[in-house]
Amino acid sequence: MDFLLSYLALAEIYVLLGLSTNLLVGIAGIFSVSQAAVFGVGAYIVAQSLMHGVMGFVPAVLVAAVACIVLNILVTLPSLRVSGDYFVVTSFGIQLLATAVFINWTEGTGGANGLPGIPPPDIFGYALETNEQLLMLTTAAVVLGCLVFWLTMHAPFGRLLRAIREDELAVAAAGKGVLRAKVSAAALAGAFAGSAGGLYATFLSFIDPVSFDLDASILLLTMVVVGGARTLPGSILGPFLLLALPQLLTFIDIPTTIAASARQFIYGVLLIAFMLFRPQGIVGEKL
Amino acid sequence: MAPYLQAQGLEVSFGGLRALQDCSFTIDKGRITCLVGPNGAGKTTIFNAITGFLTPNAGHVAFRGDSLDGLTPQQIVAKGIARTFQNLRLFVDLTALDNVLIGLPAQTGEEPLAAIFRPFHVAAAQRRRRQEAMATLEHVGLADRAHEFVRNLSYGEQKLLTVARVLATGAELILLDEPASGLSAGALDAIMALLRRLQAEGKTLLVVEHNTRVVQKIADDVLFLHQGHLMATGTPEAIISDPALAEIYFGGTI
Repeated sequence: MDFLLSYLALAEIYVLLGLSTNLLVGIAGIFSVSQAAVFGVGAYIVAQSLMHGVMGFVPAVLVAAVACIVLNILVTLPSLRVSGDYFVVTSFGIQLLATAVFINWTEGTGGANGLPGIPPPDIFGYALETNEQLLMLTTAAVVLGCLVFWLTMHAPFGRLLRAIREDELAVAAAGKGVLRAKVSAAALAGAFAGSAGGLYATFLSFIDPVSFDLDASILLLTMVVVGGARTLPGSILGPFLLLALPQLLTFIDIPTTIAASARQFIYGVLLIAFMLFRPQGIVGEKL
Repeated sequence: MAPYLQAQGLEVSFGGLRALQDCSFTIDKGRITCLVGPNGAGKTTIFNAITGFLTPNAGHVAFRGDSLDGLTPQQIVAKGIARTFQNLRLFVDLTALDNVLIGLPAQTGEEPLAAIFRPFHVAAAQRRRRQEAMATLEHVGLADRAHEFVRNLSYGEQKLLTVARVLATGAELILLDEPASGLSAGALDAIMALLRRLQAEGKTLLVVEHNTRVVQKIADDVLFLHQGHLMATGTPEAIISDPALAEIYFGGTI
């Protein structure tokens, strides 16, 4: 039972990350491969705030969200100057840089050993310790996240981002500000990733750089591709399916030493298979 | 009084290629001016220079006496000048209606905060905008195709849609890059009738056009461009009957 509850809570946290990635990559066409880095910054900020008793969970998540808004705008800024393929390379560099900082800045992040003993989240002083309570928190967060995603993507803002993905020049010719819309998209995606980071750190009570490395960024992209780009159901389905995979692997009798690489292998196969045979994902559009 | 649109001494170079050399002309309000000339004459470059898509190496453009120098495409649209593209540049994964909606000026809900915190206000504003966009589509004869994805529209319909998208911006000076090229006879008549109608409604049009028959039918004034030089200006009759210009246009060696 606990097993199921923790799977659901973790999947919901990844739904927030799926929304973040889908917004930026799927809808706005800003092909970022560094969303896990932003996620990590949110996680470390909340973890450190709670471990040092600087503030409660809710204000810490707000601080993390604001920090990740700023950070995501900064890391997305190159996409305003370099387009398409070139931005992927830039974004790749940002991800590697972030991982280097996570591993080496021992005082801030605990280095490769990570940060153990992160206190559970609290809602204005009331600590949420059982899996049921944590699941309620992540469910509330994911409902809020989906609502925000739906409202913004069904508003003129969503249409503007879709148009920008197709043809920035034509958007400028129609009298619309491309820069402003891209910055807004980066901010919104940053807020999602930062909040997800806070939930993740407190839910697992332990974080280390492996959760926020390039593999993690690629996992987020795989979730969007498999679930389906540019749709809300796609952003929800992808994380639930891909996170079920490691759970299913535990039922198969394989040595734990190769479980992790088996998982990576399957993620890779899925990514290739979907791109080749079903680029629109299960319930989405072509990336 | 300042001319409606005035270009003075425009110079544009791409590396060693001089795309425009000392181009000066004016466009009068309420008229259809056709920009003609062989391929590579610099017609689209003039469009890009007027609409802020490139910065001329020298020269100035002024609209109703206001300088457009250094303005972004977005600011120039706000001044009342909008353009189409020869290769259309429609948003093919959006519907015809959404393409027109992108053209409508600043809307509530284009910012995420408004979309999140004032959803009902945004929805109400969108309903009004949708009606405006539908009216624009009706104007160009595409109302029945409003909810079709652009990639499913015929080429002729797509061309009409580019006109609808510039009309949505509310611009009064409209620059059309080859609106009639590649069209069937029926679609050609539809677009010529549309241009006449826009003129009657008070729009001013600058049109790049290759088809001399179309030019004769719609143009009040003609600017003849060749190798970046403005060779002649005048009525369509005067330009077309000039043997020297015909020589250039139909395979001359100058």
